[in-house]
Amino acid sequence: MDFPTFSLDTSLLEKAKEPEPEVTYDLLILGGGPAAMSAAVYATRKMMNLAIITKDFGGQVRETSEIENWLGFQSINAKDLVDSFDEHVKSFDIPVSLGTATTQVNKEADTFKVRTDNGKIYSSRALILATGKRHRPLKVPGEKELVGRGVAYCATCDAPLFKDKKVVVAGGGNSAFTTAIDLLKVGAEVTLVNFSKGWRADAALQERVKQTDKVRLFDYHQVVTIEGKERVTAVVVKNREDEKEEKLDTDGIFVEIGLSPNNEPVKNLVKLNEHGEVIVDCSCRTSVEGLFGAGDVTAVPHKQIVIAAGEGAKAALSAYNYLINKSLL
Amino acid sequence: MEILKEKDREKLIEIFKKIDKDVKIVMFTQEMECPHCEMTRMMLEEVSGLSDKLSLEVHDFVAEAELAKKYGVDKIPATVLFGDRDYGIRFYGVPAGYEFNVLIQDIMDVGKRDPGLSKEVMSELAKVDRPVHLQVLISPT
Repeated sequence: MDFPTFSLDTSLLEKAKEPEPEVTYDLLILGGGPAAMSAAVYATRKMMNLAIITKDFGGQVRETSEIENWLGFQSINAKDLVDSFDEHVKSFDIPVSLGTATTQVNKEADTFKVRTDNGKIYSSRALILATGKRHRPLKVPGEKELVGRGVAYCATCDAPLFKDKKVVVAGGGNSAFTTAIDLLKVGAEVTLVNFSKGWRADAALQERVKQTDKVRLFDYHQVVTIEGKERVTAVVVKNREDEKEEKLDTDGIFVEIGLSPNNEPVKNLVKLNEHGEVIVDCSCRTSVEGLFGAGDVTAVPHKQIVIAAGEGAKAALSAYNYLINKSLL
Repeated sequence: MEILKEKDREKLIEIFKKIDKDVKIVMFTQEMECPHCEMTRMMLEEVSGLSDKLSLEVHDFVAEAELAKKYGVDKIPATVLFGDRDYGIRFYGVPAGYEFNVLIQDIMDVGKRDPGLSKEVMSELAKVDRPVHLQVLISPT
């Protein structure tokens, strides 16, 4: 028999230092996805005094299972990839305020003031916003109340919990169809509910879903309410053509209606595009001097891990140049 | 035969420098060791040798059945961690793979006499007014 091995992963063992509100850092990085982590690596190598403020590390990558477009790996498990990022970042002993959301960013003279939901205010000379995106909610009655009890936003995380169950998927694009496929794989009966007229997912995905007999399609329908006391028991949908409502008995609902940028801390500070994404130039500069943007929260097209990581690196180097040119470093 | 990788051994020596209080590791095996008992014992011998704050006692589950009973150990390999007192920490089976990190983390927590939980969690836990037997079942993959 093979003996098991003992593999040490120090990133699991060591808690990072907390950032200090009394210190004015050269750079604060907001966010913990690939853009933020890559920025942290580059900034550290430029000997900048920095800190990271984030809810968690990994960002949306944690919601994926396998990654097949990260250079150097034909296929790599998303968790393994994020863990390797994590270990890399933690090896630098950067102060991290983990589990913390930024509520507001202000600029006072040449200093950024970052207010967080733990009531603290952190300061820095330059700032990188890499707060990513989050799933857009349906904003219907019952949704908030039943999150985690039938209402789900991540098929990779939660699809296995719906083995052989009835599930509604709200959405009509690629993520809705990918979710449907994940659910079909575990034997669920799937009802897709599309708000707009016509399914927008790639033809190949649509074909895979539509060829099974375990799928019902409600095009041009709106989710009106999610019902249930302890758990989701039904979803009421309305035909947007004839306004007729129908109650669908279900064990759960996956909400796959797109993502919205986590721009709240800066929405009154920097210029955003019509989707609420932070507008950046090719050096990751925003409309506010000293504030740089990277990753999915920005208007840079193609939300990909490799692009986010590249943008993070660029933002860190641009922040470094900014501080040098301003004689702030 | 050395169990730990050289690189990991060096890292552990550094990590264990943060321990400021003694940790006693008690391990139960038996004379006719199964491969997993032997593996666990050899690993613990190596780990406990990496800091002077760590000590290891190895006992025979069969010959010292009374002692095993006292610790509530009913299967082997069993690893028990002590600080100022018995915190109820038991590992059964080989703490291999990812679980090796859990063992090291527990050694650190006991060595610092600090479970690393927030004040909120600690005050919630303080409300527990009867013995609770928590068992986490894991696979080594």
